Amino acid sequence: MMIPLSIHTILNIGSFGLLVIGLAIIFTKRNLITMVIGLNVADVGANILLVNAGFVKDGTAPIFTTAVGSAQAMSDPVPQALVLTSIVIGFGITALALALIVKLYRRRTTLDVSKIRGLKW
Amino acid sequence: MVNPIMLILIPLLTVFLINLVNIKWPKFSAGLSFLAIALTTGMAFTLLPEVMQAPIEVVIAGTKAPIGINLLIGPLGLMLSLIILVTSLLVSMYSFSYISDERKGMYSGLFLLLIVGSLGMVMTGDIFNLFVFFEILCISSYILVAYQRNEHSLEASIKYLLLGSIGSLFLLISIAILYRGLGTLNIADIAARVGELPPSTRIAAAAFFTIGIGVEAAIFPLNSWLPDAHSSAPSSISAMLSGFVIEVALVVLIKIVFSLFAFAALFWLLAVVGVVSLLIGEFAAYRQENIKRMLAYSSIGQVGLILFALSLGTEAATRAAFLQIINHAAAKSALFLVSGYMIIRTGSYQIADYRGIARRMPVSGFVFFLAVLSLVGVPPLFGFFSKFSIVMAAVSSGSTGATVLTGLVLLGTVVEAAYFIRVLQHFYQREPAKAVTAARSERGAGAESSIEAPIAAMLPVLAFALFLTGGVLLLGSITGLADAAVQDLFARLVSVLA
Repeated sequence: MMIPLSIHTILNIGSFGLLVIGLAIIFTKRNLITMVIGLNVADVGANILLVNAGFVKDGTAPIFTTAVGSAQAMSDPVPQALVLTSIVIGFGITALALALIVKLYRRRTTLDVSKIRGLKW
Repeated sequence: MVNPIMLILIPLLTVFLINLVNIKWPKFSAGLSFLAIALTTGMAFTLLPEVMQAPIEVVIAGTKAPIGINLLIGPLGLMLSLIILVTSLLVSMYSFSYISDERKGMYSGLFLLLIVGSLGMVMTGDIFNLFVFFEILCISSYILVAYQRNEHSLEASIKYLLLGSIGSLFLLISIAILYRGLGTLNIADIAARVGELPPSTRIAAAAFFTIGIGVEAAIFPLNSWLPDAHSSAPSSISAMLSGFVIEVALVVLIKIVFSLFAFAALFWLLAVVGVVSLLIGEFAAYRQENIKRMLAYSSIGQVGLILFALSLGTEAATRAAFLQIINHAAAKSALFLVSGYMIIRTGSYQIADYRGIARRMPVSGFVFFLAVLSLVGVPPLFGFFSKFSIVMAAVSSGSTGATVLTGLVLLGTVVEAAYFIRVLQHFYQREPAKAVTAARSERGAGAESSIEAPIAAMLPVLAFALFLTGGVLLLGSITGLADAAVQDLFARLVSVLA
């Protein structure tokens, strides 16, 4: 028998899945660029979890129009505002990480963490 | 009356101003940032009498909390703000001569952003703003760690960035869990209603939060980035990172744990983790040959001690922890600043290369000596009172567990004394090392001439040393402020348990 899953539950499970995958990439891969990709995957997971915190069943976009007048029927807009901030921060961190990796690559000509001394986890 | 929001706005707006000024007149940027910090520090002191009477709440954008965003400045927030501002004021004075390359503008801007992040973290009353200020703090410190652009600093910065970003993710998850459960972001509002959450949700939120902030607070085992980051940053930045950044993260962690997740088990876990950090930090420091790595590991140890005292959960222990935070901010900043010029003069990071350096840098050597004594806790210096009161508070708390942990703390102190004395022996040896005889300053050659740091750099270092020796005279008013901060913290605890 199928257990009926709401979209809310699916998104929650999916976001935790993305988090686990992202963290697994960061801790198992040896290539710095791959690790930054892992960070991004985990970041997406956290963002989905955050925006999902404002989930309202059958909710519409939180914009007052003539068709929808009641705030109860809308998704919570606060997490959507938060997640925008969080995406921008994630973008900044990715840009900074890649810039640092480029600088390091010019000096070491390797992206392998295990070959870079002092970068042992 | 000064609006407390100016404490955040002045440094933040100066960052933008510096970036403009930097295009045309880069040499003014350092002075500008110093002025901004001095102004902010003055303002923070004028707030003192008012905050001691009642916490100030600043409503932002005209919407009252819990719907709007607010700043909440109580004695705890103001005490931490003063530690942050006074330390950074002195460090920025040191930076005038220490940072001499053409990227001064960038340095001054990031330096201010680091202060903005720290001040925001201690003053905000909103958990998402806490996250944003935390990110400002983290990102500016990632960049400052990489400032010297050599292989070590780049590696350390990447390592710090990856671990720090994982911490931020966990913090964000904790915020998402709390918001899903309660529909509010205001810390006071969450605290009032946190009992509505099912226990499993509370535990999950507490775990994610502790791990998230714990990375920045350098709690074992989340501190593997710290020795690299603190040792490869410029010494002025190491002084800031060790002097207050870790402590701010730690106090914010404890504040949130007190007001949202006051589980007895979590307090015990944090106390044990604190002692483990202390022992690991001190034993690792004992094995170091590189002076800055040694100081960085010593910071891990000190932070462990502060965490231990804070998580004992008694008023006396918390007050002692606050005194220790002040002692550590002054002593460790002085140590990093002094070692900064020793590294410049000798060109070496190795402690063995500093043999006999105290003869050529007498003031630096003496300040190092004083700061070490205060950090270890030798009477009559400031550190004696803070460390002694931690031990007294731990023993008088009455539980066997706390007494056993106190024994381990004392063991850590013995190790700390051992490695610092070894460094001092090197400093005061008669036979100078090659690096010391070869050292030259801009003032003159000659193997016997002084290679002391410039006066602009020595003044702040002397100010720290003066505080460590004369701070005892201020102990009354400092304890008064710390007491008010303790009451501020414990008022939150009661509101949860009631």
